Amino acid sequence: MRANVWSGRNKTKIEEVPDPKILNDRDAIVKISSTAICGSDLHLYDGYIPTMKHGDILGHEFMGEVVEKGRGVAGLEVGDRVVVPFPIACGDCWSCKHELYSVCENSNPNAGMAEKAFGHSTAGIFGYSHLTGGYAGGQAEYARVPFADVGPIKIESDHSDEEVLFLSDVFPTGYFGADLCDIKGGETIAVFGAGPVGQFAIASAILMGAERVIAIDQYDYRLQMARNKAGATDTIDFSVDPDVVEQLKEVTGGRGPDAVIDAAGMEAAHGHGALHAVDRVKQATRSESDRGHALRDAIMACRPGGIVSVIGVYGGLLDKFPSGAFMNKGLQLRAGQCHVQKYLKPLYEHIKNGDIDPSFVVTHRLGLSDAPDGFETFKHKQDECVKVVLEPERS
Amino acid sequence: MPVFPPRPVDSTLHGVVDYTAGSTLMTAFPKLARLEGTRAARQIRTAGAIHLAYSVMTDYPLGLVKVIPYKVHLGIDAVAAFALAATPFVTGQYKKGSRQWVPHVALSLFEFASLAMTDPSAKGEFHGDVEAVRAANRVNPHSKIYEGPPAVRPPVAAAG
Repeated sequence: MRANVWSGRNKTKIEEVPDPKILNDRDAIVKISSTAICGSDLHLYDGYIPTMKHGDILGHEFMGEVVEKGRGVAGLEVGDRVVVPFPIACGDCWSCKHELYSVCENSNPNAGMAEKAFGHSTAGIFGYSHLTGGYAGGQAEYARVPFADVGPIKIESDHSDEEVLFLSDVFPTGYFGADLCDIKGGETIAVFGAGPVGQFAIASAILMGAERVIAIDQYDYRLQMARNKAGATDTIDFSVDPDVVEQLKEVTGGRGPDAVIDAAGMEAAHGHGALHAVDRVKQATRSESDRGHALRDAIMACRPGGIVSVIGVYGGLLDKFPSGAFMNKGLQLRAGQCHVQKYLKPLYEHIKNGDIDPSFVVTHRLGLSDAPDGFETFKHKQDECVKVVLEPERS
Repeated sequence: MPVFPPRPVDSTLHGVVDYTAGSTLMTAFPKLARLEGTRAARQIRTAGAIHLAYSVMTDYPLGLVKVIPYKVHLGIDAVAAFALAATPFVTGQYKKGSRQWVPHVALSLFEFASLAMTDPSAKGEFHGDVEAVRAANRVNPHSKIYEGPPAVRPPVAAAG
């Protein structure tokens, strides 16, 4: 089969690779109809997540048709149309029993490696380095889905792929970010990053009843999407004025947002001047893995007693964490890779009810063979790119 | 085991090396190499100054006035390294002893090693084919962003 594989920093290529096989009774093989490039794939592409190997198949957002299943897969049949969540979860361990699927204790075969990096192992993830299990990803014609009786959600409505594909990651991840903010209605929420996850965090905050949602980015077209489609009430373009903290205070009467969502993560572009230069140098020399501009500003801007929700990916260590502001303002820091399996059914219901049409983020629909150019276009924000969907069945 | 790409020096790290090497050559290097007061020291200081000058003008993350493309910068690196190594032999100063040519050659080898480990594609450089993407794309990005109704209904609207 054809697959988009990691070929070193800033390079992917389409290669012929062996078809996946059932290795375990709880595996299924999915013929992929749609798959997407995620913003977090760019951390792999840029070379900031270690343990990638040449030839690793990328992609953790995909859906398709079950074409084969192991004997232990209950609830799915060959021919079923499914969306596959990005964390691989066994469903049986303590974490899964507590709906903490992204920290499943059984699905990462390289648990020792993850324990060294994070103190504990986290769940396996499709196509996301050997630190998270070395699983083949979904930017391919087929994928092996372990624990297929736990993860995939069956799509029985006639919604298009684009309407349901993002249940695999970015919609639940954005929703999770908003959910961590304890929105009860009437709050002001700021969202750093208006990429796909940020767009869904904004839309989810609106869906939950937030009164004001402030989108922060440096690309005007992304801010326009946030305002026109996701429901943002305010936007801050830090390419115009880099002092985001001051602007957030200004638009909230000096108090600051009730909660701030960091949907930017370790490669936050925001930040200018000496501090930005120091971070860039430290990251380039591998003496700091994460650039913390967004997180630092989130902590500084959030109102006292507020919540900082981190759903942008961080990989290791960052410097100049504002611990004084964090402690003295009594902030709550909440974070995580999304426990997607927990949100699949309620979010699918939102789609079926017409509360949200997740396809609004799709700006590029390409064939699988276009994936390398798609990565570049997405990374460099060319051609008003927000989200790239790949169709393996196209040449 | 972490697996690193074969060319681990990206354009930012290359800039760090440029500024460190350039300023060291202009200041401490001649003294540490016991060349003070010699023609070799002047040559190495000049090489450091030139290196700093075109680094400042390079279009990479640490450049200040981004007028020289990154790949041209790498080309200048190679030419400058070759010129530095050749200088003692062109001037004939190599006849005065090893200290008059070994530093030049060593610095030149360092430069070539640095170039060999540098990813020439440049981290910040777009190397895709945006026209091919436009031709293959089945969506109109502009209309998706600017046209049509909002994609989400607030709870009050949803209830109504």
